[in-house]
Amino acid sequence: MNIELSEAAAEYGRQALRALRAAGGDRLVQLAEREPGRREDLVAPVLRELGAWDLDPRGDADDLEAAAALCRSAGYWAVAYPVAERLARPADLDVDGLVVVADSAPKGAVAGLGLRWVAVTLDGRRGDAVARTPNVPPRTSAFVTDLDVRPLDEAGAGDVALGLVLPCWTLLGMLDRAIELTRSHVLARHQFGGPLAERQGVQFQLTDAEVERSGAEALAKYALWSVQAGLAEALDDALALRLAALEAAETVFRTAHLLHGAIGFCDETTLSWVSRYSQPVRRLPLGLSATRDRLTRQIGRRGLTGLFPGATS
Amino acid sequence: MTRADLDEFRERVRDWCRAHVPKDWRREQTGVSDEEFVSFQQEWFQELRRAGFAVPHWPAEWGGGMPVAEQVVLYQELAAHDAPRLVLAFVAIHHAASTLLAAGTDAQRRRHLPAILDGEIWVQGFSEPGAGSDLAALSTSARREGDAYVVNGQKLWASGAAHADWCLLLARTDPSAPKRRGISYFLMDMRTPGIDVRAVRQATGESHFCEIFLDDVVIPAEHLVGPENEGWRVAQRTLGAERGMTMLELAERLGNGGFRWLVELCARPGPGGARPLDDPLVADRLAALETELTGLRALCARLVADEDPGPADASIVKLYYSELLQRMTDFGAEVAGLAAHTALRKPLSSGWESGAWVLDFIGSWEWTIPGGTSEIQRSIIGERGLGLPREPRGS
Repeated sequence: MNIELSEAAAEYGRQALRALRAAGGDRLVQLAEREPGRREDLVAPVLRELGAWDLDPRGDADDLEAAAALCRSAGYWAVAYPVAERLARPADLDVDGLVVVADSAPKGAVAGLGLRWVAVTLDGRRGDAVARTPNVPPRTSAFVTDLDVRPLDEAGAGDVALGLVLPCWTLLGMLDRAIELTRSHVLARHQFGGPLAERQGVQFQLTDAEVERSGAEALAKYALWSVQAGLAEALDDALALRLAALEAAETVFRTAHLLHGAIGFCDETTLSWVSRYSQPVRRLPLGLSATRDRLTRQIGRRGLTGLFPGATS
Repeated sequence: MTRADLDEFRERVRDWCRAHVPKDWRREQTGVSDEEFVSFQQEWFQELRRAGFAVPHWPAEWGGGMPVAEQVVLYQELAAHDAPRLVLAFVAIHHAASTLLAAGTDAQRRRHLPAILDGEIWVQGFSEPGAGSDLAALSTSARREGDAYVVNGQKLWASGAAHADWCLLLARTDPSAPKRRGISYFLMDMRTPGIDVRAVRQATGESHFCEIFLDDVVIPAEHLVGPENEGWRVAQRTLGAERGMTMLELAERLGNGGFRWLVELCARPGPGGARPLDDPLVADRLAALETELTGLRALCARLVADEDPGPADASIVKLYYSELLQRMTDFGAEVAGLAAHTALRKPLSSGWESGAWVLDFIGSWEWTIPGGTSEIQRSIIGERGLGLPREPRGS
């Protein structure tokens, strides 16, 4: 078993990072928020050029890895576009994307795009979903809107795992960025005659956050492999990844904000944007407690299968 | 003071609260204009003042003199009756007053303490873009010219500067002295020409923090507090107030207001009909929070009552309060769920725990960062409290 992304997928991710930088980088989310109507035009052409919609993550193992790498790059720039949701579209339905939703009050960060969505609950009930026109601006909604769902079938159980895993790769890109921004900040910000980074108390907080981030990264790779290999427990692994990624996000953003100081809460800093736009993926379809609850019910007293099945009785 | 005296006092405060705490102020103060907020705050301050409840912690000769035990009762009852907080007067009645009482001249006290009671609003002008945690690195300059100082520079994170009449200002008067020794402490009239206040929009959507730009601002020499170049020592009094006396009220409010609402929130049936409170994990968290709160309130009461507090006591209280506030508002946001994210306005004049849990959680970071970050507090506790060696300083 090799859970590392292939070199081709990693290179694809780097190209996506560069292409998105060239298209505006950090300004993409700022422009989308200011002019929500331009949201599609800001990034869709770049993604098209990258061949994002030609990827077949559900049918091709290499494409699946490339899709994960692309989500991570989109997360790095906090691109306000449902890249993961579009890449997770089901193989058997003619739609533009898939949104995993909670059992009640279905929502997604898919406002104002005019795309055709299918929503799936965690137990596999699918429905055609239409994004309502949001009544609050993206400044406060981060493009999250209610979905009107018309029931379709109960054949979506196999769609869910990937629908949970890819957004975690987006979140992983955001965590990469938050750590990078904070590292730069504590190196650049001088107090007491030297950079903040010289303080061991500062270093330890950042290293704790990095440990959390790298743990989430390892699980992201494992859960992706689990989906790729078609394991029976892929949904367990996806939920475990989601739980770990949400916990890591709490630690990473908390530390990032604290070490930035007050400026981290102002939109002059990139951190403020990345942190704000990390909220939809951290809250939907299930927040931290609900994810933990769902995972607990899912695996019961059985536990996760993990890397070494059969090691414990 | 006997228990009976205290009970009698409590009854008096309760009667007063029932008669005077504005009904429905939370609804009425949500989404109001700045002007309405200011006038509401001023009216409430005067109401408290008439009852002798506005500045109980001041010395008797200036209108205070309430025993600490009674102050605890007062703050408990104000919180339990959900009274508005004195948001606007906060810096005036705590920071400005304690600075003036400790280091001001008689003339300064006579000029400002009665004015504060009449509603004079103060702002703290300490932090700068290059001087946050390392406050002593501040670079705003004050150059002596005859009977006045000419001030140039920029201040940041000045909470409430837009409404302030006066500013507690730190500026460098001796650029060649070691950094803590060349700072002086001034009282600056915010109407002086050359002052430009700009609001900074925060993540909560409010613009409570401000930048203050100072361009050849002339401050008469009689507005210097303490000797020239000894401002750092004076500033410790101001910061001591922030980490000390103010905490008594805040701790009681957290215990009697915020925590009570959290329990009420947990007792409300969720979408599926079940109450969060019936979940043993939730009950466990609430019990842990209440235990911590009890500890905090005891710490605060001891700090205020103690004639000779330890060198790190105020830091312990500030650190404990701010991180507990963060844990509690975090838990509130978790229990309140997704719906809480749509509550994007909180009533002005409420405390750090308004019941708009998501905004409260974001706002709680105003406690772990300003007034000495949690890291600064830990350094103080380590070095001054435990007598540990100082961290090696950068060159």
